Amino acid sequence: MERRLPPKRASDSPVRSRQTRLPDAAEPVLEVEALSMDIHGVPVVRDVSFDVRAGEVFGLVGQSGSGKSLTALAVMRLAPGGAVTRGRVLLSGTDLTALSERRMCQTRGRDIGMIFQEPMTALNPLRSIGDQVAETLRVHGVASRSEALCVAREKLARVGLPQERFGLDRYPHELSGGQRQRVCIAMAIALRPRLLIADEPTTALDVTNQAEILKLLSDLAADEGMALVLITHDLAVVAGMASRVAVMHEGRVIDVDDTETLFCEASHPYTRDLLRDSLHQPSRRSGSGGTPVLEARNVIRDYAIRRRSLFGARRIHRAVDGVSLTIRQGESVGLVGESGCGKSTLARAVLGLDAMQDGMIQVDGVPVNLVRARMQAVFQDPYGSFNPRQRVGRLIAEPFHLTPLTKPVRHARVIEALEAVGLSAEDVDRYIHEFSGGQRQRIAIARAIVVRPRLVVLDEAVSALDVSIRARILDLLTDLQQRFRLSYLFISHDLEVVRSITDRVLVMHSGRIVEEGVTDRVLSAPEHPRTQELIAAAPRIPEEWLRAGIKAGKPDSDTP
Amino acid sequence: MIGYAFFRLVSLCASLAAASIVIFGVIEVIPGDPAAFMLGVSATDDAVAALRAELGLEGGVTARYFSWVGGMLVGDFGTSYTYRVPVSELVLARLQVSLPLTLYALALSTAVAIPVGLAAAARRGGTADYGIMAATQLGIAVPNFWFAMLLVLVFSIGLGWFGAGGFPGWEAGFWTGVKALTLPAVALALPQASILARIMRSSLLEVLGQDYMRTARAKGLSGRQAVVSHGLRNALIPVMTILGLQFSFLLAGAIIIENVFFLPGLGRLIFQGIIQRDLIVVESVVMLLVFAVIMVTYLVDLTYAAIDPRLRRSI
Repeated sequence: MERRLPPKRASDSPVRSRQTRLPDAAEPVLEVEALSMDIHGVPVVRDVSFDVRAGEVFGLVGQSGSGKSLTALAVMRLAPGGAVTRGRVLLSGTDLTALSERRMCQTRGRDIGMIFQEPMTALNPLRSIGDQVAETLRVHGVASRSEALCVAREKLARVGLPQERFGLDRYPHELSGGQRQRVCIAMAIALRPRLLIADEPTTALDVTNQAEILKLLSDLAADEGMALVLITHDLAVVAGMASRVAVMHEGRVIDVDDTETLFCEASHPYTRDLLRDSLHQPSRRSGSGGTPVLEARNVIRDYAIRRRSLFGARRIHRAVDGVSLTIRQGESVGLVGESGCGKSTLARAVLGLDAMQDGMIQVDGVPVNLVRARMQAVFQDPYGSFNPRQRVGRLIAEPFHLTPLTKPVRHARVIEALEAVGLSAEDVDRYIHEFSGGQRQRIAIARAIVVRPRLVVLDEAVSALDVSIRARILDLLTDLQQRFRLSYLFISHDLEVVRSITDRVLVMHSGRIVEEGVTDRVLSAPEHPRTQELIAAAPRIPEEWLRAGIKAGKPDSDTP
Repeated sequence: MIGYAFFRLVSLCASLAAASIVIFGVIEVIPGDPAAFMLGVSATDDAVAALRAELGLEGGVTARYFSWVGGMLVGDFGTSYTYRVPVSELVLARLQVSLPLTLYALALSTAVAIPVGLAAAARRGGTADYGIMAATQLGIAVPNFWFAMLLVLVFSIGLGWFGAGGFPGWEAGFWTGVKALTLPAVALALPQASILARIMRSSLLEVLGQDYMRTARAKGLSGRQAVVSHGLRNALIPVMTILGLQFSFLLAGAIIIENVFFLPGLGRLIFQGIIQRDLIVVESVVMLLVFAVIMVTYLVDLTYAAIDPRLRRSI
């Protein structure tokens, strides 16, 4: 029996392993052959074939519901209940679909590691991180408890959680999202698997963390000679990471090629649509030069932090530290920064939802808490922000408690708002679960504009949407802005979206605005180091690929 | 952890003080003259005055409250008016039945409910699951005194394995005592076990859907291993809450079962205290029960903190 546990990492240098592994790099580690999956009779994965070689990063891209995650779960044989899979999955020549469940358990974690999307919930909250990493070794019976903890310490250090700051006895709730994802990676690579599957590993993280995690993953694949399957909806992420890419749509792989070829030639119309939508620029007029709608001066917002001990001193965290900003009528202002920089806290203060410790926020010269109807908000999760037991008409009419209007006027306004966002008057009697994600976000926008506000705060409002839906929503927002002379405060971690829809941008760091200016100027020639870091961290599709791809797509793009 | 335990202890003392004020207030201050109430409408003024003196009702409210509380702190709960013995003696004798009975019933119910709930969750939607759900529904719906009488019919009168009622006292031997408490404990445990099994099932089902269970499977744990090493501890948190509530309920809420089996328990003591208007007994026993409930809640809180690291550092 082969013992895969490295006794000491030093004697097992990455250089050596690369040398020994490279000759068979041409041999595929994973071969998926005609894989199909039905869930309760509904086909969700259809005839999918691809292969991944050692040391290679293979991208699997597609929009939500395209079957990319289910393909990965089928490889792991962890498909949800009611699923029936057909086809073959070969791992170094062994057909996984033919293995007994016992053998499959020995394969998972040892030969295939997997990382999931949601690091906040992927770890057991009741067990320490050292314990959870060590479990990978313990469950495969390759190490004693003390040996396993020793390896856990090494692996955690390898993923950037050194022993001095992140002891093995730390618990998941003491770590941030990016740190937790590192723990998940340490668990997945503890036994140096041949294949690592990362399912949207950075989608829940901000750009800075995303860049670090992606760097870590590609380093690991190279150092350990692992094959890495990177599943993502983000074309820019695969552009920077993968050597080959498969595009999935409605359960099928519709295009698979070398990354550069795939982007530059964009031979499949669907790939071309994806590319175009991900770069979509709504045609909009600049909105600067109007009268000021929102004026914030020197806003300070503090949070009390829990005391360290019963008799410890009371501690305060200053989430927003002396921020001033002005938004004019018809203007879009972007607010960017890494997670925890105070963006959302500032947004809540602007909406008049929280009391400030100092400073003032005025709308049309009146303190914001007195004129709440002039400010509305759209948040990231369209489903979570609606009461599922109320009909759409009532949901949209919600902000009317802020205004004295008669019932017929309200009803007319609700219909008007629904039609403005591209839905129909009949939709007032339907429930929210009857709508798709994009339609729900339209309803959220209808709810925001129904009281004819002056300013709409869009807090990551398009972040959870697929690229094609996101492109349509950005068009809608632009259209509404021009029709109703709305002002937007647009909070997003996605710099491309900010570039496409805002006139000015504010960069926030540790509660302060560190840079502000015209969007194009700030994003193309950033001055502050924090802005530069943010822009450097954002994944991008190389310019020349885009030009080539768009050129390749040109003849086709005119025909509908 | 120690800071947490200490902080909870402080809030526990505050709850006890608040409870004592409410109980004292309701029973002694609000309904007018307790002595006249205890003696009924036909009592003479002299008799009422004599009782007032005996009960220590002379003097200010504050002084009386502190002498009551002070007495309890040193184990002096006053003297029962009807039994003419110290209340502490009465309560102690009754606790010898009620406390073992409660623990016995809880042990039975936990021993049955947790495996049953686990089995139902593991076979969600299967025949076993439907069977268990139907059985627990019945266990909750059937009145436990009826079930108790059924038990007596079958096991005492029919099979003759157990006595039909009464409690010989622990002097008669440990196993004799346990035997006398078995049928009542089973009758008490049935609805509690049914509730607990359902809580266990739904709590485990929720845990099974969590992301960390999928992570565990991806590490190579089998379904069973994942449940044992990641599912159970998480699923037990809501079960602990219900167990704490059930303990408090059973301690004094077993009155009907005590009557069916003719057991001298706490429930019957309160019941008799109320119908005989023995306010001293009622007041003291209620205070004692409040104390027991608060202590159990405290223990449950400490158990939470032992299970869940997120609670240890929070104050």
